[in-house]
Amino acid sequence: MPLEYYLLLSAILFSIGAYGVISKRNAIRMLMSIEIMLNSANINLVAFSSYNTPFSLTGQVFVTFTISVAAAEAAVGLAIFIGIYRAYKDIDLEKIATLKW
Amino acid sequence: MIDFRPFAYLIPILPILGFLLCLLFGKYSWRRGGMFANLTIFGSLIISLGILYNVYFQGMSFYEKSWNWFYPGIVFGIVVDPLSIVMVCMVSFVGLLIHIFAIGYMGEDPDKFLYFGETALFTGAMLGLVLSNNFIQLFLFWELVGLCSYLLIGFWWYKPEAAAAAKKAWMFCVVGDSLFLLGIVIVYNYMFSAPGITEPITFSQIFSSLETGVIPPPMLTLVSLLTLAGVCGKSAQFPLHGWIPDAMEGPTTVSALIHAATMVTAGIYLVARTFPIFMAAPNALWVVAIVGGFTALLTATMGLVVNDLKRVLAYSTISQLGYMLCMLGVGAAIGAYAVGYSIFHLISHAFFKALLFLGAGCILHGLWNIRSIKEMGGLRDKMRITSITMLIGALTLAGFPLTSGFYSKDKIIESAYEYGEIASKTGGLVHYLPWIFLIFGVFLTATYTFRMYFLAFTGKPKTYLAEHAHEPKPISSMIMPLIILAACSLIFGILTQTKFYDFLSTTFTTTTAYMSALNFEHLAKMGGNPYGLEHVETPLYIELLPTVFVFLGIGIAGYIYFNNRVDVGKYIKKGNPIYKIVWNKYHLDYVYRNLVAEKFIITLVILWDVFDLYVIDGVVNGISWLTVKSGTVIRRVQTGVVQNYATVILLGIVLLLTVIWYFGV
Amino acid sequence: MYISAILSILLIGSIIAFLTRTREQARIVAVTASWIALGLATIMFLNYDPSKGLNNFKEFYNWIPSIGISYHVGVDGIGLPMVLLTVLVSALCAIYAWGEKHRPNEFFGILLLMNFALTGVFVSLDFFLFFIFWELVLIPMFFFIGIWGGPRKDYSAIKFIIYTHVGSVIMLLGIFAMYHFHGKATGIYTFDMVTLLSAYSTIPLQGIWKDFIFASLLFSFLIKMPAVPFHTWLPDAHVEAPTIGSILLAGVLLKMGGYGLFRFLIPMIPNAHHFFVYAIAIFGLVSILYSPLAALAQPDLKKLVAFSSIGHMGFISLGVAASIAAGHEIPRIFAQSGAMFQLFSHGIITSVLFGSCGVIEHHTGTRIIQDLGGLAKKMPKFTFLMVAGFFASMGLPGMSGFVAEFSVLAGSYPQLPYFVIIAIISIPLTAAYHLWALQRAMFGPYNEYLGDITEATWYELTALLIWILLILALGIYPTPLFNIMRSTAGSLTSILPIGGIQL
Repeated sequence: MPLEYYLLLSAILFSIGAYGVISKRNAIRMLMSIEIMLNSANINLVAFSSYNTPFSLTGQVFVTFTISVAAAEAAVGLAIFIGIYRAYKDIDLEKIATLKW
Repeated sequence: MIDFRPFAYLIPILPILGFLLCLLFGKYSWRRGGMFANLTIFGSLIISLGILYNVYFQGMSFYEKSWNWFYPGIVFGIVVDPLSIVMVCMVSFVGLLIHIFAIGYMGEDPDKFLYFGETALFTGAMLGLVLSNNFIQLFLFWELVGLCSYLLIGFWWYKPEAAAAAKKAWMFCVVGDSLFLLGIVIVYNYMFSAPGITEPITFSQIFSSLETGVIPPPMLTLVSLLTLAGVCGKSAQFPLHGWIPDAMEGPTTVSALIHAATMVTAGIYLVARTFPIFMAAPNALWVVAIVGGFTALLTATMGLVVNDLKRVLAYSTISQLGYMLCMLGVGAAIGAYAVGYSIFHLISHAFFKALLFLGAGCILHGLWNIRSIKEMGGLRDKMRITSITMLIGALTLAGFPLTSGFYSKDKIIESAYEYGEIASKTGGLVHYLPWIFLIFGVFLTATYTFRMYFLAFTGKPKTYLAEHAHEPKPISSMIMPLIILAACSLIFGILTQTKFYDFLSTTFTTTTAYMSALNFEHLAKMGGNPYGLEHVETPLYIELLPTVFVFLGIGIAGYIYFNNRVDVGKYIKKGNPIYKIVWNKYHLDYVYRNLVAEKFIITLVILWDVFDLYVIDGVVNGISWLTVKSGTVIRRVQTGVVQNYATVILLGIVLLLTVIWYFGV
Repeated sequence: MYISAILSILLIGSIIAFLTRTREQARIVAVTASWIALGLATIMFLNYDPSKGLNNFKEFYNWIPSIGISYHVGVDGIGLPMVLLTVLVSALCAIYAWGEKHRPNEFFGILLLMNFALTGVFVSLDFFLFFIFWELVLIPMFFFIGIWGGPRKDYSAIKFIIYTHVGSVIMLLGIFAMYHFHGKATGIYTFDMVTLLSAYSTIPLQGIWKDFIFASLLFSFLIKMPAVPFHTWLPDAHVEAPTIGSILLAGVLLKMGGYGLFRFLIPMIPNAHHFFVYAIAIFGLVSILYSPLAALAQPDLKKLVAFSSIGHMGFISLGVAASIAAGHEIPRIFAQSGAMFQLFSHGIITSVLFGSCGVIEHHTGTRIIQDLGGLAKKMPKFTFLMVAGFFASMGLPGMSGFVAEFSVLAGSYPQLPYFVIIAIISIPLTAAYHLWALQRAMFGPYNEYLGDITEATWYELTALLIWILLILALGIYPTPLFNIMRSTAGSLTSILPIGGIQL
């Protein structure tokens, strides 16, 4: 299977994730979209790794790192959202725009 | 006899030292400072007389010495020549008498020590001015004299009129002084690079280089006229004469000092000192003669209508200064002797004017500061010595025969006629103008002087205070100076006259170590002045004319005012247009104060302030307003919604990638 | 070592003053430190050697050699009088402020810090060091206005700091441009002033860059002086600043601009556009005429005095322009040393004026001229000193202002006659606003609404008296100071093309 297919899949996933990050007003959905974007990057890493250096696992090792970091990030993110929810009784991203000018 | 000339620098320094002593210890000393002022000025007088003896009787040479000041060529120095010698003698002598008078006159004034300090400084400044051998030092003392007059006119500063008069005096003077300063700057400009000049602002070097044309003649005229502007301010000549009547708000002794010894004579002295420059400058002396003559006549008419005793005297001073200035002006046809004639009148004027003012001081002292002659009357019997000495003063002022005023004024009018005769041959009949001004001035002078004298001293007392007037004790510090001055007024003219002229005319025409003799005929030729062209004999009737006018003036004044024989109010109503114009001082005060100062300057500065606040500062604040405003608009980009930021970041990346892809890396 | 000693004494004194607990301790620290500094500066003055120029009291240590920054200090005939003026005015300010009650230890600490920064400006011979001091000056001044100021202190403090900072930033660009082009041309990257200024003429550059460098420095100095029309921060800052702040602001801080003209612009000008000679002269002349007219309209005594500063600083610009224009050597040096002398003389004269405004404000509670009147009755001694100060400001001969202004006028006339003739007009106007203010505020009948006021305190009178005596001393015998300035003026004008710049 040619590399392009993996990259195409990764690009589609990235675009879906980016669309989600930009358009979803619910924080949980946004977090999920970020995860999708991260995973598209992971696919790229694995794909390049197996095509360029088939006998070493650099890309795969990196991906495991990324997944664990992403998990930690999701945990921190969710914790923040719980905090926000406690403060605002809502996690609608447009309503918590206190950083505005 | 010891040589006093090297000690000449002490003449101004001693009174200035007296000023410091008065300021520091005056409060606790004898007569509250009067001691220091009188002793130091007495010291100056001794040295001055010593120098006079050295130079006149022992025939020692003139003397000049310079010390370097702050820049090469800018020097400090003294000059001792006949002109400065007679001036320092007069200033210290008359000044001393006025100071003695002030010991009694100032009585128990709480600021007496300050008064004596300031008058000592005043005298010292005038002495320094006279002894200056260069323009800058002269200007320094010139302004110092002005400062003292400001302080002394405003001595009773709690009176609003006194504070305003002090300011007015300074403002009139400073207009002239700033122009005079410009004149000095121009002289420096031409002199500093001239060959052989080491001290470009000393009079001797300026005079020596006149004939070589270092300063081109048109510039000489400019310098002369700028100097004349300074003179007009300080000597109260038209059109800057308006400050003198107001200056009467100071103590009377101050008026005496200002009018007789220390201030207004400075201007005349300056023209006399720089006479060679005027001589070499085309048309300058003609302007001087016209300004002097016109002032002499103009202020004499003003003297006719005022009722304030001191102001009558003030106008007479301006008028007499006009005679002196006019004399220097007509010197265009007289040459070096013009200085002698003019200074002769200056000195006789110093005696009788000091006498008149001190007499007025006695009257004011006795009448609790009533100044209107309409409220006096009959003082002849109450104040006997004062009335006699005042009569001598008035006769001298009017130019009554055999008094010193007669000799000095006669010479001036004769010279003016001579000038008219000579100059009108080439320049037209207009050159008779100074003589016409002066001859009518004589008549008016006699009239207003005796109007004042008769109103104050004859007739019946018009007020309660005048009835109960009293004179200071005969042997007191207030009466002695009057007697001495009266004696001087009487005999000075008879005694000195020709000797005086001869002595003073050597000022510029003697070769000394520091200056070679000036040839006035060459200078006159440079300036196109008629001196040396021919000599004119004055006809007898012209010589007698002033005397006739004096008698006529006194006679008319006596006819109307002696014992209040005629009620003038019947003939001249308050609404008489000519009377009104003269009473309002020809509306010059109105023009200066209401039009120039209040309307023009005040409007201008208010507009200026608005311009400053709203235009210039408006631009500054406008820029800051624009910054803040644009900030409030642009900050709306910061929506606070994270997703918007993410969108922009994404778009940015896409744009960046497109650019890189399109243009290559 | 003298310069470093002065700087360190002032800095250490400032820190100690901040750390003290009571007013008594703080003011003793301030007075001690500033008077030691004054003593050291006087010793420098006595040991100054005119022939050595900028090498007098020179100290040179490498600081950041990789980019050519060094600790290089020294003084010449313009720097030394400025140092003397700074420590002198600060030392007298420390006495004048003896009775300060509001946050006194910080007050005296800031006073010494200000003194330190100002001294640093006048001794630095390295652009980087100079710029640090130049900016450091703003900070204590900002706090002076911001903490001890009047009702609109925030507005004024911010206006002051932003306005002058704009000038500084543009100057910084000019310095960078000089640094960069010099490094590019010679391979030596250095911030050393002497090197950069002397190389300015030899660096190959297109005209526009040279003009830009010159104009950027000029702009900064004109704001600092300040010259009309960049002056509007000054009246606002003065009106709100405390008395000491005003004295230091007008007495010393403005002099940084004038100092800059002599230190940087005159050595640079032969290679700048001739247009700049006229520009400097016109800025000077406009300031000279503008200030008395604006001052006449001011109801506030302090604002009036603030405007008088603008006019006096105009004489400096005029003198500088005249000293670089074509003409004979004698008047050019005369004008330039006169302008230098005006820097010093105005520093002490304006201190008296602002000190007097401060006394009036402390004792009557107002500075509005209309509300005063007849103060001479209650404060005779103070009135005497104040009148002396006002006359000094009017340029009365025998006082230092006359020496300066006469030198500028007499030295400028040969090169720029019409400028001098127009400048003369300002003399009566200057006299007018001074005398009018005196008449309304000090003379006439006492204004009873002011209540029972007292004579100025001993420390105020002492400080004012010393200033007045200095003004008199410099007016009567200016020679020692004038000679030092003249030696430097001579060396500065000798850099110029023969006979100055043809206009």
